[in-house]
Parts: sequence; structure tokens; C-alpha cells
Amino acid sequence: MKNKQTLLMVLTGLIIGAISVVLVQCGNPGNMGFCIACFLRDTAGALGLHRADTVQYARPEIIGLVLGACIMAIAGKEFKVRGGSSPVTRFVLGFFVMVGALMFLGCPLRMVLRIAGGDLNAIVGLVGFAAGILAGVLFLKKGFSLKKSQPQSKVEGALMPVMSIVVLILLVAVPSLLLFSESGPGSMRAPMWLALAAGLVVGALAQKTRLCMVGGIRDAVLFKDFHLLLGFVAIIVAALVGNLIVGQFHLGFVIDAETTQPIAHTDGVWNFIGMALTGLGSVMLGGCPLRQLILAGSGQSDSAVAVLGMVVGAAFCHNFSLASSTAGPTLNGKIAVILGLVVCTVIGLLNRQKAE
Amino acid sequence: MHLIATFHTHFGAMSFQKKIERLGRNAGMMPVPRALSASCGVCVRFEGPFEPSMATDDLEAVYEDAPNGYTLLFEQPEN
Repeated sequence: MKNKQTLLMVLTGLIIGAISVVLVQCGNPGNMGFCIACFLRDTAGALGLHRADTVQYARPEIIGLVLGACIMAIAGKEFKVRGGSSPVTRFVLGFFVMVGALMFLGCPLRMVLRIAGGDLNAIVGLVGFAAGILAGVLFLKKGFSLKKSQPQSKVEGALMPVMSIVVLILLVAVPSLLLFSESGPGSMRAPMWLALAAGLVVGALAQKTRLCMVGGIRDAVLFKDFHLLLGFVAIIVAALVGNLIVGQFHLGFVIDAETTQPIAHTDGVWNFIGMALTGLGSVMLGGCPLRQLILAGSGQSDSAVAVLGMVVGAAFCHNFSLASSTAGPTLNGKIAVILGLVVCTVIGLLNRQKAE
Repeated sequence: MHLIATFHTHFGAMSFQKKIERLGRNAGMMPVPRALSASCGVCVRFEGPFEPSMATDDLEAVYEDAPNGYTLLFEQPEN
């Protein structure tokens, strides 16, 4: 049984890594086969929630991830609707997870894909991410809890998948209602149906395996259990091999004197701190942005609230110049990331419970 | 008899583990087996027996961990 699960986890990682390379080859931005932070940001832009016209596109991958997880959860009789565990706190944590990710320019999944593309800036991000997770684990050991969720009505759990279907209908039937970037990362996109299919497959597999970038490191630290981390490693291996095959592996902090790594910057301090914030916030939420999306598709309305926090966070990042660019981080972004660390710390300290 | 308790929160698992250890029994936290699943992703494996009076607020369920699979022994009622 355990060997079967290990095999499934490795296969899932390999498939996600391979699909990511294919999506980039078919049009997605470099090292961005998947990026939950970037794609939620693009989707927020498509809906007009921010005005950065280079990052506006209702990414079918996101829709697919939610629906794939939803279908798999229903098929496995695991669509359990729960919620009500400190929803506003989760919204705020989701908001700052996004602020940290857009400082670094990628969610933990894209961080892994950037490593597989040879982007050494992402190694710095990984170290920061691990530091943030360790800080989160300390809070867990000190009794941090957002309190337990409660069973909710089916409607509550169905709303996130329904919202995803509505965005898909808009994208297919009335695209004129949405905004589409004509240049920049938002204009770089794999064919819609391919992106949707990729999202469905990855969403289903991630639901089945509970793949989580944060959980991998958390379980390794807390329990010396490396099951989730295997998926993490398998994604890197498959994407690395794929990138080598298609000539998209460029080892270094920059590709050459004039060219940065794709959609990345070289400010190591802020790559570290940004991902530390994302790691810390994600541990407090109980999972990385990908996991939040998968749980949101599986009936967990607390995760749906965290995803909505990320969407609003992304909109703020671009409306108030918090997001980094290839030129590096902004002053506003640095202030927001520090503020995020303070807010997460306060939330961590004020939500400690005492054992019975 | 080894048992596995699942929880709604990480904190719930942590406090249950301490409670069992105070009874002088072995108890350890670990990632919850996929077949059982749980909201928080962690469980406590401990030496039985289990009495419903041992249930804490965040406890979800208790299973017997036998070589041929898991058997549900107790499920905490919810509203």
C-alpha cells in the first residue's frame, strides 16, 4: 500500500514536471508551466481587479486545477464541505502569501520549476521558503491553531468550483467581458484547451496524492517523513530533464550579461525574504497555494477564502506597485513584505492555544 | 493494539499526544495515512485501548491499525 502511494506520488511529480515543460513550449512564459500566484494574479487582471495590462488573462490552468480536484474528490467520496475556521485570518494570510510570492515572482511550485530551469535565484528563494516553514513549525509547536472547521452546507463547498465554471464560460463564450494582455507575460499562453486539460490532470493528481510544497518540508522537519517531498523532487527531475531536452535549461543567476532568467530578478535578499513570508503564511494556512486551490475544489471553504485572499492580494500588488519585476523589487513591495511578516507573527502569537 | 487518531487541527493532535503520554503510554505524531485522510494532515499513533472519555475537542476519529487495514472504532459526533 505504502509503496503504491510512493509510486503514485513520484509519478504525479514527474507528470507535473513534464506537463510544465510542455506548457512553456506551447506558449506559457519561461519556467511558468504552472504558477499558482502568477496565474491567480493574471486571472485577477482579466477580471479587471488590477490595471497592470501585461498580466491579464483568465488562466485555464487555474480553472482546471479547481475542477480536476473537485471531480477527483467527488469520485473518491472525499468531497467534504467544511469551513468556518478563522476565515478572515485565512483571507489575510492568503493575501500576504501572495505578497511574498510576487516579491519573489512565483509560488512555491514555480520556485521548483525555476530551479529545474537552472535559475539559481530560485535556490535562494528555496532557502528563504524553508526558513519561513521552520518559523511556521515553531508556531505550530507552540500551540498555533486557527481552530477547527465545522461541516457546512453543500452550497458552500460548491461555490468555488461553480465560480471556476463561470470564468470558463466567460472565457469561451463571451471573452469580450474579460481583459487580455497584448504584451508581457499575460500575452504568453498555451492553447486554452491544452492549458485546461493540463490543469484538470494536475488538479486530479494533486487531490489524490495531497501533493503540497509546504507539507513536504514541514513533514520532513517534524516527522522525518519524506513522502510529500518526493513529489517536490520528482517535479524538479522531470522538468530538469525536459528543459535539457528542449534547450530551456540556463544555469545561473542571469542567462547572460544582458538577459535575466525568465520573469525573475537577482535581488537575493528579497528573494529570500519574499519566499520566507510565503512559507510562513502557508504553514499557518496548512498548505501551499497549490494545496489551497486543490482543497478549495474539494469542498473546503476555508481554503476558498485563502484563495480569495490571494486574488485580492495579487490585485493590491499590482495596484500599489508591490510586485517585483525583472528590474527587481520595489520599495512599496519591501514595506509590504515586512508588514506581512509582522502581521503573520502577530497572528501566530495571538492564536496560541493551551493544551487541555 | 495500536490505534490511530485523526484530528481537525495540528494543535488537537499535539495535545492528544501529550494526554496519552501522561497516561504512561507510547504515542507519536505522524502524517495521516492517505486511506484515512484528515483535515490537518497529521495523526497520532498510540497504544490502545481507547475510551470515548479520552476524546479531546479536535479529535475526528480513532481507528485500529491492523495488518489487514484500518477499522473505525470511534467517530466524534459533530453538529
